[in-house]
Amino acid sequence: MDTNDELAEALGVFMEEARELLAQMEEILLREEAGGGSEEDLPALFRCAHTIKGSAGMFGFDEVVRFTHVVENVLDRLRNGAIGFSRQLVGVLLDCQDHIAGLVSTIAEGGTPDIARSDELIAELRAWTAADDAAGAAAPRQLPAESAVRVAASGGGGTGSDYWHLSLRFAPGILAEGMDPMCFINYLGTCGRIVHVETITDHLPTLDEADPELCHIGFEVALDSPAGKEEIERVFQFVAENSHIVILPPHSKATEFIGLIESLDEDSARLGEILVACGTLTPQELDTALRAQQQSRQDTPPRLGAILVDSGMVAPAVVGAAIEKQQRNEEKRRSETKSLKVPSERLDALIDRVGELVIAGAGTHAQAVKIQRRDLQESASLLLSLVEDIRDMALRLRMVAIGEVFSRFPRVVRDVSRELGKDIELRISGAEAELDKSMVEKVGDPLMHLIRNSMDHGIEAAEVRAASGKPVRGTVALNACHESGAIIIEVADDGGGLDADRILKKAIEKGIVAEGANLSTQEIYQLILAPGFSTAETVTNLSGRGVGMDVVKNNVEALRGTLDIDSVPGQGTTIRLCLPLTLAIIDGFHVGVGSTHFIVPLDMVVECVELPTGLDHFDYMEQRGEALPFVRLRQLFGEHGPAHIRPRVVIVRFAGKRAGLVVDRIYGKCQTVIKPLGPLFEQVPCVSGSTILGDGEVALIIDVAQLIQGVVTRNWQATHGGTARGATALAA
Amino acid sequence: MTNDMVVRTVAAARRGNDNDDVSSGGALYLAFLLGHEAYAIEIECIREIVEYSEPTAVPMMPPSVCGVINLRGGVVPVIDLAVRFGADPAAIGRRTCFVIVEVAHAGAVHVLGLVVDRVNAVTEIRSGDIEPPPAFGARINTDFILGMARSNDGFVIILNVARTLSMAELATLGKAGADSGVLLAA
Repeated sequence: MDTNDELAEALGVFMEEARELLAQMEEILLREEAGGGSEEDLPALFRCAHTIKGSAGMFGFDEVVRFTHVVENVLDRLRNGAIGFSRQLVGVLLDCQDHIAGLVSTIAEGGTPDIARSDELIAELRAWTAADDAAGAAAPRQLPAESAVRVAASGGGGTGSDYWHLSLRFAPGILAEGMDPMCFINYLGTCGRIVHVETITDHLPTLDEADPELCHIGFEVALDSPAGKEEIERVFQFVAENSHIVILPPHSKATEFIGLIESLDEDSARLGEILVACGTLTPQELDTALRAQQQSRQDTPPRLGAILVDSGMVAPAVVGAAIEKQQRNEEKRRSETKSLKVPSERLDALIDRVGELVIAGAGTHAQAVKIQRRDLQESASLLLSLVEDIRDMALRLRMVAIGEVFSRFPRVVRDVSRELGKDIELRISGAEAELDKSMVEKVGDPLMHLIRNSMDHGIEAAEVRAASGKPVRGTVALNACHESGAIIIEVADDGGGLDADRILKKAIEKGIVAEGANLSTQEIYQLILAPGFSTAETVTNLSGRGVGMDVVKNNVEALRGTLDIDSVPGQGTTIRLCLPLTLAIIDGFHVGVGSTHFIVPLDMVVECVELPTGLDHFDYMEQRGEALPFVRLRQLFGEHGPAHIRPRVVIVRFAGKRAGLVVDRIYGKCQTVIKPLGPLFEQVPCVSGSTILGDGEVALIIDVAQLIQGVVTRNWQATHGGTARGATALAA
Repeated sequence: MTNDMVVRTVAAARRGNDNDDVSSGGALYLAFLLGHEAYAIEIECIREIVEYSEPTAVPMMPPSVCGVINLRGGVVPVIDLAVRFGADPAAIGRRTCFVIVEVAHAGAVHVLGLVVDRVNAVTEIRSGDIEPPPAFGARINTDFILGMARSNDGFVIILNVARTLSMAELATLGKAGADSGVLLAA
């Protein structure tokens, strides 16, 4: 594998990680805004920014590092309790989070980052960073904003240590920048005596994963020096900005050590080692404590921390923080093992193989039936049903919770409701309902449109709501549930409901329906899905351009779903999407033309009839008083296989039109696992994919829409000949 | 030699290929017959050899694309090399089989089946024994030829797989086929 590939792969991992972290930040910020934040949130928020900054630094995304660093500073102050959350701060931080996301994707795509916007936001953040200058009187020197060196305030005694304590975590890329961590430690020797150096190797990867050009180790240094803090700081003046350097003066307060323990992200560092590494304990003190732990031969030996406190070696607060960190790390690890990431190609390969197993099993069963061995038949059918179970389970592996899509809407609702000046609450239920990963990706945009639409058109202005006796705060409810092999997603608002008269009037005005048309209420509601329809009197930023709803309808239909509208005047509107759980399987209608098998998507099939005789010169037939054009697949596909004396017509419905497909044989309904045909057949119109039938034969899936469209356009070009008449009728 | 034996030799050859390469400076090729002509393809491109089964024809494709087969649950397109080289379609005989090859296209590896009349053997050909393709005289487009190697019974044509099975070109053929199919039906 060449380095470029590796880099691209690493970049992919970084992008994915950044996206997840940013999503997490957003979630926390929204929770804080709603007032439902927990204690865990602030450190988590800081960690998100910190990790993004660190990873971006590895790729040399300087602008991301520069900007995120400022954000991180503010988050750090939040975490330390130096500042509190305000509505305003959450707003700015959300903007910052958006900006980081923008920066990351622009830079990763090779674009130029929007530095002006960064500076703008940094200036806004200054209100929260600048407060530091006034309050932080203890800070001996104002460090440049870009510097990552943090200096803890010195205070009265607390711990027994007589030495400076330095905690050094250099950036992984420090070697590439021409700096050797060893030089710093050597140079430190010029300021005083280095009492002890503890090397932190927790981040060392395994040998085959290790990149020898990266610095994976950190140091904890105890320094006996008469020098001032400034002098020691100067040693690290040139360290890359995403290094993490903490300098604690002698006799620092216990709380400062706790802060240090929390800021380090070593996972499995044992409590004792952390304390020794921090200089709170000497190695000898640790040894004594360890021995004490071994000697107390109880069933449940006391935790090391307890012994340390008992023997008066460390202050309880320090141990408490360390134990808490240890527990948190364990919890984190446990929750990490609950789910694992698997590349989707691997799942697909598994599903393919299991599908083949089902076919092989069916073959074995057929053989057993053939040789009339009852016992073999029984075991073969048991095997087959087990394999089918496994196939269902394998397909379920691709399922993800719809909550993955829903999670982005709270932010949308927040932003849009501000923009509209309405107070709107989003209620989500059924986020755990599962559907295929590929569906999840495609259902987001249509839902976004629907939610914006409900907020803009559905929910009335506050005064109107108050006047009609409704709560001022509007509600948009997003609900998902499973129903007979499909997923139902509802977007419901408690707004004014649809005004059927107004819709009809508008539709007539726009020429969508003829005047005097007699439509049911349902049919009138469906008109809002027509292209070019919009009832909003004013065109707002959000909707009202009349492009939304018909796009939604098309998207939903492309996913083989349906869209229903329900509305009660004065009480609200509910839009209900019904989507299949997966795109990988369709219900197919199996037909034969010559010796080839074809699958027509079942939801397009209306009915099947026999082809009336005497139509050799026409390509349309009479059906219930109407002319029904049809396509002879045998001729169209140039099939020469055995024909049937009585061909059948499969009547399909597409975009409101009906047409017939003349086939030789009809086999019936079957579950079809769609397999793509690959680039070689991309150009073939009218075939959208393939599948493997129970007997191992390959069947082609007919793309009805393209086939009919193709026949129509072709007959526009060639208006002579037999096929022309039928298709003209179809086009009309 | 039966197809089964060839398959085993292919596997063994792939395993031992590195050593052979170093010791003798030669590379391994799979030799097969197409009509009366002997061809060879570098073994690195070959995934396996499978028994012939009637492919499912895909409508509106040119005659060089026979259709698709089910290869253990995967749908694999099959190319008739004889037609690709401008000859008549391969006559299906007892020894007809599919040589399954891997072709890189647009950053992904695609699997294609080739209809051949008979698989001969896995042979080692030293690079020194390969001569450049003749300027004319070969029955097939010289672009498709990587070189000619002498064997006991005359010359073996070593195919340029990337060029012969260029997905981009085959797909364009598919488009042309689709267009002509439309014209034909109209």
